[in-house]
Amino acid sequence: MAYKPQYYPGTTSVGKNRRKHMSGDLEKLRDISDADIVTIMGHRAPGSDYPSTHPPLKEMGEPDCPIRQLVEPTPGAAAGDRIRYSQFADSMYNAPAIPYWRSYWGAINCRGCDPGTLSGRQIIEARERDIEQYTKVQMDSEMTDPALATMRGCTVHGHSLRLDEDGMMFDMLARTELADNGNVNYVKDQVGIPLDRKVNSGKPMSEAEVAKRTTIFRHDNVPFGGAIGSRKFDEGLIALHHMWERRSKWGFRPE
Amino acid sequence: MVTKSDTESVQIEIFPQRFLKPDTAQRLLDEIFQGGGILRITVQGPNLPRMVPYGPGKGLPIEEHKNMLLELADQALELRVKVGRIWLELDSEDRIEGIRAACERMLPFSFTIKRKQIFHTKPTVSDYAKYGGEVDDKRILGMIDPKAKRERDMAILSDTGGDS
Repeated sequence: MAYKPQYYPGTTSVGKNRRKHMSGDLEKLRDISDADIVTIMGHRAPGSDYPSTHPPLKEMGEPDCPIRQLVEPTPGAAAGDRIRYSQFADSMYNAPAIPYWRSYWGAINCRGCDPGTLSGRQIIEARERDIEQYTKVQMDSEMTDPALATMRGCTVHGHSLRLDEDGMMFDMLARTELADNGNVNYVKDQVGIPLDRKVNSGKPMSEAEVAKRTTIFRHDNVPFGGAIGSRKFDEGLIALHHMWERRSKWGFRPE
Repeated sequence: MVTKSDTESVQIEIFPQRFLKPDTAQRLLDEIFQGGGILRITVQGPNLPRMVPYGPGKGLPIEEHKNMLLELADQALELRVKVGRIWLELDSEDRIEGIRAACERMLPFSFTIKRKQIFHTKPTVSDYAKYGGEVDDKRILGMIDPKAKRERDMAILSDTGGDS
């Protein structure tokens, strides 16, 4: 029987969502056009050529290397694209993704990327045409709720702050706004430079929906140990305890 | 333990579940102010910069944060923070229930009110640097943070302190 990765233990909804994120088996909820994604990222004008840092690999005459023969380059690497990034801040109020799970998703599912995990934000770097594709997956899928997750290249403050009155995550640079039609529009790119036009990133999820789709354990939603009052902890917490115990007892072995 | 006999005035913090829009903050402050008995008010929250502070867009103006005013008793102050907490000093403990009722009328979400010592009572080193050795009006202690400008961020509405 072929090996099937388990990714993450536990029977809670958060455990299931974490498995979904890690496996890349994500539900697509909206369709934001490529041009809109490029506009929000702000690295190049939509439709313009990709600037490059080196000639295409086929023209470079690569050395005879078994690894290079084994690993097929990503489209961005093959074309010699620049390294570019997209960075997201996710609210601690039940945002669907959190930095670690964006990184797990990136590291497991995206070739040629460099995920960086921080406390309140998460950045993925990759070749330009690759990162555009990876960013689109994040923004189109259940990993992102437009109100609780925003692409923020700088001044990311907001993850651990209370929400605004309208349910939007606080943004010091006012990059997004909740329109009258219920959609969340980007009015600035990820570093706060105003856009020529508003970019629709979809409707926010309801509170019940984000509580269902979140990968965050919270005492007021799904606690780490599973249902409150149950006789046994959820497997997710037991597995974590197990890892901590093993690491504490045998992690340090100088011999 | 703080008892009524220990101190005449009381200090409370209103902590709403969500950040307040400028309109909501204005309505709430109007309602609170109308109730009387206010000695000091401070609104606190994360900074709303007037221009992009970091990154490739550094220096670009943030139009959304301009022209936000809080008006109380014919005085207007430019709102430079997202209102997250409101600190009040009241002339009596009996006023707290009125404040709670005002919050219940004006806030569409839950909130907590905590009584505690908020404003410091002795000048700090920052106060010494800011105001000098002698502070004429002790009410200004703890009202604004060290980097704020007194003329821009603080207003004295009455020399008597409240309507009581």
